[in-house]
Amino acid sequence: MSQWPRIKPSGDRSVLIEFENRIDPGVNRTVRALALTIESEHFPGVQEVLPAYRTLMVTYNPPQIDYPNLTEKIQGWLGKAGDIGLPPQRVFRLPTVYGGPHGPDLDRAAQILHLSPEEVIRIFSRTRFLVYFIGFICGLAYLGGLPENLRVPRLTTPRTIVPGGSVGFAGGQANAIATDQPSGFNYIGRTFVTLYNPEMFPPIPFVAGDEVSFPPVPEEEALRAKGLGAEDFL
Amino acid sequence: MKAFEVINPGVYTMLQDLGRPGYMRYGVPASGASDRFSAQTANLLVGNRPEAAILETALFRLELLALSNLTVAVAGGDLSPSVNKTPFPMWQAVSIQPGDRISFRGRKKGFRAFLAVRGGFSGPRYLGSRSVFSRGLMGNPLRTAEVLETEDSAVHHPFNVPLPLNLIPDFSPRPTLRVILGPQEDRFSPKGLETFLSSEYTVSPQSDRMGYRLEGPRIEHTQGADIISEAIARGAVQVPGDGLPIIMLWDAQVSGGYTKIANVITADHDLLAQTMPGEFLRFKAVTLEEARAALRHQELRLADVKKVISGWAAVSPTYP
Repeated sequence: MSQWPRIKPSGDRSVLIEFENRIDPGVNRTVRALALTIESEHFPGVQEVLPAYRTLMVTYNPPQIDYPNLTEKIQGWLGKAGDIGLPPQRVFRLPTVYGGPHGPDLDRAAQILHLSPEEVIRIFSRTRFLVYFIGFICGLAYLGGLPENLRVPRLTTPRTIVPGGSVGFAGGQANAIATDQPSGFNYIGRTFVTLYNPEMFPPIPFVAGDEVSFPPVPEEEALRAKGLGAEDFL
Repeated sequence: MKAFEVINPGVYTMLQDLGRPGYMRYGVPASGASDRFSAQTANLLVGNRPEAAILETALFRLELLALSNLTVAVAGGDLSPSVNKTPFPMWQAVSIQPGDRISFRGRKKGFRAFLAVRGGFSGPRYLGSRSVFSRGLMGNPLRTAEVLETEDSAVHHPFNVPLPLNLIPDFSPRPTLRVILGPQEDRFSPKGLETFLSSEYTVSPQSDRMGYRLEGPRIEHTQGADIISEAIARGAVQVPGDGLPIIMLWDAQVSGGYTKIANVITADHDLLAQTMPGEFLRFKAVTLEEARAALRHQELRLADVKKVISGWAAVSPTYP
């Protein structure tokens, strides 16, 4: 019998369900299917269902349900998760200006990769990235699918501030940061599409399972996306 | 209604209510008052619902000029609250007049104080909550000369009874925090676990509402400090590669890729809010049943506060 999934406490009001220990679209699909199954149960005492790459955290209200009862329920939901239909995958195409002041790491990343900056832009912008899950702070989308020939380490000293909308990669991962944040990623371009707005619901446009690409456009066209939401670029 | 003008914004002073749970899946931490018992009690003392917005401040220096006739209450850590430089009692409602100056003149016990005003502070709501979380573009800490307003209140005048002493928490300066081990306790050596559970740690000056960084003996991993990123529960004790624990708190990021050795139980988060940089703390492993009983105990104490304030209490409350 497989050692996965494993269920364990994560503090006194969360349960962590672990699947195979790797970043993989199939494993992540299992996580999302279980998340949707649990949410569709509307079970009293279950508060939040938080999918990640290969784990699912379920937070609960201890006066309403306790750990042994919840884990027993989860065992049952694991059996049902295979039957649930995942929502249709959406593809966002966010206009992106590459290089220059908007992509301060483009030339250096190209040098490390022994590619021209144009080749880096071409390979990166042709990629459709999978949104594995949303997290960190202010709705950061964890993107998977970075091509093998774009593997560059993180900066040795992270930047104290990177403007929101910056698009880049490091260590096999890619992201578009939603708001101004410190970061050690290599940023090669920027999109001006609004990726986070706490005055609206939902505050971020993506859900786990969506796909995102970053087609190259001239600066003027990229700037025209200011104030627009990602749903305008489906 | 205009309530206060900010003369000195003090240290980390901001509006908080009970936060915005339910948005972690969008990358937004729940935030909310760091010491929930004190914040809710301050509200109840002035006749507000427990979830009204209060001011959370730390250490000292906050100074406010009253612009109207107000009823206020201060609960939490003792930061020497005064009206016109005369100390006033905490854990009870106090009436003040236009021109009065409220100031917090120095920390005596605890770390954070909560000031409630009758009607509750108004201010923009983000995702259903007035809790300030500036990193998430949801409001800002207080600024000098800012004017704070209250909701127009038709709140009745509360019974002005002081709380019985046994309902007021004691913020001991060297707390032992109860933890549930895991979820990655198997990524630490037996020696590492022993270090964590037997050592005294100091709260680093680089601590804030996001997390408490701790200084002390380094905790030994077995196979590195990194995991594939996953959700982080409030109270999680992350141990990155340097072996020094970080407790993830109210405004912490919602996901991360470091091993978590344990999780501080919910009932002890208030205590952590009252522990300041430079102070010491220890960890003790407990069971989920013990954590549940502790949470129940905390809820009963708040229920007793409600009874006393509503006038519906036996002469000597059942707590503890």
